[in-house]
Amino acid sequence: MKKQLPYLLLMPGSILLIVFLILPLIKVLFPTIYEGTFTVKNYREFFQDAYFMKILIRTLKIAVLCTVISMFLGVPTAYFISRCNKKKRGLLLALTIFPLLTNSVIRSFAWINILGRNGIVNTLLMNAGIIEKPLTLLYTEFSILVGSIYLFLPLMIITVAGTMENIENDLMEAAESLGASRLSAFIKIVLPMSIPGIIVGNILVFTGTLTAYTTPQLLGGNSNLVLATFIYQRAMSLGDWTGAGVVAAVMIAATMVVLRIFNALAAKIDERGEKYA
Amino acid sequence: MEFLTLNKIDVTYDKKKTVLKGLNLEVKEGELVSLLGPSGCGKTTTLRVIAGFIEPSGGEFILDGRNYTKVPVHKRNFGIVFQSYALFPHLNVYDNVAFGLKLQKLKKAEIKRKVEDMLEICGLSEFADRFPGQMSGGQRQRVALARAMVIQPKLLLLDEPLSNLDAKLRINMRVEIKRLQKKFGITMIFVTHDQEECFSISDKVAVMNNGLIEQYDTPENIYLKPKTEFVARFIGFNNFIPLKKQSGGIFITERKELIQVEQETKLEEGLGTIRPDDILLADETVSENVMNATVGVRTFLGRSYQYEVDSTAGKLVVNAPIGKVYEPGDRVRVQLPKNKIIIVRKSM
Repeated sequence: MKKQLPYLLLMPGSILLIVFLILPLIKVLFPTIYEGTFTVKNYREFFQDAYFMKILIRTLKIAVLCTVISMFLGVPTAYFISRCNKKKRGLLLALTIFPLLTNSVIRSFAWINILGRNGIVNTLLMNAGIIEKPLTLLYTEFSILVGSIYLFLPLMIITVAGTMENIENDLMEAAESLGASRLSAFIKIVLPMSIPGIIVGNILVFTGTLTAYTTPQLLGGNSNLVLATFIYQRAMSLGDWTGAGVVAAVMIAATMVVLRIFNALAAKIDERGEKYA
Repeated sequence: MEFLTLNKIDVTYDKKKTVLKGLNLEVKEGELVSLLGPSGCGKTTTLRVIAGFIEPSGGEFILDGRNYTKVPVHKRNFGIVFQSYALFPHLNVYDNVAFGLKLQKLKKAEIKRKVEDMLEICGLSEFADRFPGQMSGGQRQRVALARAMVIQPKLLLLDEPLSNLDAKLRINMRVEIKRLQKKFGITMIFVTHDQEECFSISDKVAVMNNGLIEQYDTPENIYLKPKTEFVARFIGFNNFIPLKKQSGGIFITERKELIQVEQETKLEEGLGTIRPDDILLADETVSENVMNATVGVRTFLGRSYQYEVDSTAGKLVVNAPIGKVYEPGDRVRVQLPKNKIIIVRKSM
């Protein structure tokens, strides 16, 4: 009985996953490789179609850019927060998480107001005489990127700040006493020690951006489809469930490849060779 | 000319709590000076002022003729050994030790030579590839020392470096530290609350209390001739008898008993202090500095019995050999040998 207990405890979660994730996934993906016989025809068609490829590349481009920019914005912010005293740190983290408490549709609408033809940015620039006619900011890859960064930056900040909080101040002081300025102590001590958090943050932001639906739908419009909006269009508007399944499979594969790359990177940076994800 | 001078250093936290008030300290080149005191006495704060982590609100810190009061930490070139060791967990032993040298932009071959020499001296050669997480406390301690020494610092600061080690290792390490100090002739400031550790290693000891140095002296003088009640208590005196000078070597207790004291003192009034070991339970033949007393509590200490006795001069703690056992309530005569009594200033 004692030996079986752990398995018993695993049951509820496993059943939930099998019934609501694994089985539906098989049901969606199986038709993409089986039409009477096993075939890769659907996938060959996907990768040969320039339109599909453009969407795939756009999606990956936005996800990579969003991750990299979030990292560059998030790491210094996280460092600042982690060095504050406990009271201030709690307040700043609460402020960071605050946008996450709002519905993503509402947040995207905010960006429509900011980036639109008559939005705040265009009005300001035109009033200042910098531009003559409004820039096309909305319904572009740029607006998807801005919206995604806005959406996922808090995730990066809280993950990295969590790791940095655990770095003892003694280490910074030791580095300083050995001749390192604050900046070089940050680069040589804090940064390498934060790699686990940064990797996790990158994974969260990357997979989040890659699979996000609302933001690209509202800020990208129909001319800037990404994989998620493309799946929806295929399945719901065109009723092409097999095509949607192919895109879903490609999305899963892309996510897994990127995770592996991050892992390999982490192992290379950290000589101790620990795995983070 | 002193090598290191702290001149009237004031440190105040949050504009309210004063930690150091006008602290003065002078250290000669090549000396090992300990800051000794209970927690909260300001010893670590003093060390952090010297290191540059705390900027004093007043006073100045001069080293080797140069004013360091406002020099940033990373430009001071002082080695620091932290209580937690503060080794970089993501770097192996070699890279930990090489950290400071790499920042000095030395040539690779020179760094290699210096690091390897230092690892050799500290007995760490075989551990060069290990990470701190894979080492024992004593080994980490040696890495911390090697890392701080390899940059050839003007000053080495050690903040309770041995407090995380077990008793046996602690003794080995303090011998090691002393050896390295003699080998490199480096000036060291050593913070500790352990008096045995401090006496065994130091050239001079500053006993601190409440943000001030109560006594700054050689270990022998601190141990044998404490100047204040606080110092005396800290190093194990626990009998204190209020005394007033009457003439020459004669003092008088509050109950008008006369006590002879050999030690010469300028104090007109103070506390006569004596170690429990030095008080004798006397027989009828002795008459000098003898008082009648009643035995209170008896405690077995192994080599001796400790008695709390109620004497005419107040409560006294006496350690007596185990030959004769007294029971609570027994009447005894205690003798305070005149050459063992020290007159100290009453501490606030």
